[in-house]
Amino acid sequence: MKNQLRELRTRKQWSQGELAEKLYVSRQTINAIETEKYDPSLPLAFKISRLFKLPIEEIFRTTD
Amino acid sequence: MDNPNTLESVSPLSGHYSLKRDLRLNAWFMVAAAVAGAIAFLLKRHPEWSPLSRALLTLAPLIPGMLYVRDCMLFIRGMDELQRRIQMEAWLFAAMGTLILGTTVNTLSANGVSLGRLEHGFSLVGTFALTFSLWLVGTAIANCRYK
Repeated sequence: MKNQLRELRTRKQWSQGELAEKLYVSRQTINAIETEKYDPSLPLAFKISRLFKLPIEEIFRTTD
Repeated sequence: MDNPNTLESVSPLSGHYSLKRDLRLNAWFMVAAAVAGAIAFLLKRHPEWSPLSRALLTLAPLIPGMLYVRDCMLFIRGMDELQRRIQMEAWLFAAMGTLILGTTVNTLSANGVSLGRLEHGFSLVGTFALTFSLWLVGTAIANCRYK
């Protein structure tokens, strides 16, 4: 799954740690999502979507 | 809301160490170890005690041990989803590794292969040490995967 998380985060000028705090996850989780090594659960994807006020499908896209 | 639990928060050299979290996780383990040590010392010094009292005393560390297991479960529940997945992979690796190695040692022994001190399989302490070592390896592998 591809995602726009890094672009969205840097646009807001947040560090990975700051974003992690806002989402109540570890910095490692943010890094793993940004590097596309880990796909977040649906509840976390919804949290991200609410935080950036964007629909999920604009943040996450399937590769196929 | 607190940050989610991480292994770093209970590793003294990680730079993100939290004594509060470490105690919340490991306090009952320390109690269990202290009780087990004290009981082993007492049982050695008093061989005249009845088998029933010896059995009860020997099993006493199980109570703080079970409370420690409860704290481990609460700690994992307080982790975020990726940390929980890493722990699940690490524990699966440790459990399956212990099972496979234990079975292999027993099978070799049963087929007449001389294994020296491992002739009767792993001891209790040996099994714990093996599981813990495999858990460390499993955690390192899973961490590398999601780094």
